[in-house]
Amino acid sequence: MKLAVMSCIHGNYEALNAVLSDIDAQKAEQIYCLGDLVGYGPDPNAVVEMIRSLAIPTCQGCWDEDIVEGLNACECSYPSQLAEQRGRIAHEWTNDVIHPEVREYLATLPMTLRKDNLCFVHGSPNSQHEYLLPSMDGFAVLERLLSADADVLFCGHTHVPYDRRLEDAALSVKVGAADNGEPLQQLQVPLKRIVNAGSVGEPRHGRPNATYVIYDTDTTQVTLREVPYDYHKTCEAIIEKGLPPIFAWRLARGVEFAERADDPSHVCER
Amino acid sequence: MSDTPNITVVAGPPGIGKTTWISQFLSAAGLGYLYPGAGAEAVDRLRIGYRFPQVSVIEEEAALALLSDLPESGRVYIELGFHIDLAMLPLNGLPCRRVAVVPPNLAESEWHSWADEVIIGNNIETPQAGRLPSLWRAPLTGQVFDPPSLDELLIELTGGAYGQVIRLKGIFELPDGQAFYVDFAEGIPGLEYTELKLPRWLEGRPSRLSSLEVVGYDLQQTMIKETLLLTCLSDEILAQYQRQYQEHYGLEGLSETKGAVA
Repeated sequence: MKLAVMSCIHGNYEALNAVLSDIDAQKAEQIYCLGDLVGYGPDPNAVVEMIRSLAIPTCQGCWDEDIVEGLNACECSYPSQLAEQRGRIAHEWTNDVIHPEVREYLATLPMTLRKDNLCFVHGSPNSQHEYLLPSMDGFAVLERLLSADADVLFCGHTHVPYDRRLEDAALSVKVGAADNGEPLQQLQVPLKRIVNAGSVGEPRHGRPNATYVIYDTDTTQVTLREVPYDYHKTCEAIIEKGLPPIFAWRLARGVEFAERADDPSHVCER
Repeated sequence: MSDTPNITVVAGPPGIGKTTWISQFLSAAGLGYLYPGAGAEAVDRLRIGYRFPQVSVIEEEAALALLSDLPESGRVYIELGFHIDLAMLPLNGLPCRRVAVVPPNLAESEWHSWADEVIIGNNIETPQAGRLPSLWRAPLTGQVFDPPSLDELLIELTGGAYGQVIRLKGIFELPDGQAFYVDFAEGIPGLEYTELKLPRWLEGRPSRLSSLEVVGYDLQQTMIKETLLLTCLSDEILAQYQRQYQEHYGLEGLSETKGAVA
């Protein structure tokens, strides 16, 4: 069975439409969405309506949570003072235009979705705000995977897609005092995998194209998809609707600054 | 007595490397530097003063009298901004050596006609005749910047987010008390950051001069200014940083300059 997993749409309706068309062309049978439906982009209501009308199972992203509960970020939320100021502008704009029923819908989204041995989260199983970076320490990633009780963990939030395998994972556990002569207990962990779906509406990979992933449950094959779309329309809408023009400039170059994605050892304290 | 005039006037397009060319001669003692028509906060003027403290940076008001009565041992380098009309120079009557720094692909120009000597500089595009770029300058004295925010702004500026930038140079103060010179010229890849060897300023806002200059077309000056302000640290955050750095570096090294740690 082919699954399509997408994340971080960020109010970009043009990109969402292009990705949905590509998913159709790929003949995926089920779509999962990892959240961040709103924020930065000009069409948050339209994006949420589309996701709802297609009944796509969706996790709550950090931006969705912020719109429901207000800004309350840990220091990891922004890479700089400038990004933080702009994030606040985007949050306030979105907060002003969001329809009440859309806000209610965002409040109902779960943090985690599951299907058999697969788990779907926005940031990490711990928090929508925590980054699972490709360079994150293997032990820390394994801990997140074990806590999710899944063989494959799908996440987003970094806006850069990747497919990371943790092979032949072995944990050594010593029980009791260090010098009591008890042998080490070994825990053999089967192959684990973490798949980041990238971002549909705010890519950070240096090109404006939307990204998502296709996962084949029969073959376990992961395909990272990159979908061109008419990003000029989104850029025009950003400016027309009064969002900062710099959002359009960054979107057109695939250099959305997302949040602090430069410290793989940071544990989000939100 | 040497046949070489004591005054060397250097001209050329923005980003060609005029200041860099002059800098190679400034290590000697008894030299003067003048950048007419640029004001006290011109980045090149500040940079020369910080990098070569033994060089006398000449005030514009005193320039003509000083140059007219230059002692035989005195040598002065005069840098002309691209916006200066070479034909209208008040210095034209003085005996001087005229040096033009030009790009390698430029065979003929007003700089060639004007100069006694032509030096090949950076491989940059020359502004089109009749379409001179505009120069925008922001005095930054007292401002201290959030480093990652400054990086983002400089990437946006030089990437064309606020108009086409063909030249950018600036002196920026950072929260660890250091000052940096930043240099960009269209056609030369990347931004160059050079640490200025100045005492660390770790107490209050720096009173030494700093500045940003942007040369380009269709510059959105208001937006640049607004964004620049978003990258500056507040008093409260600056004080937090300075407390941390004071602990790290120790306060015993306070120099004679108020607020600066040697």
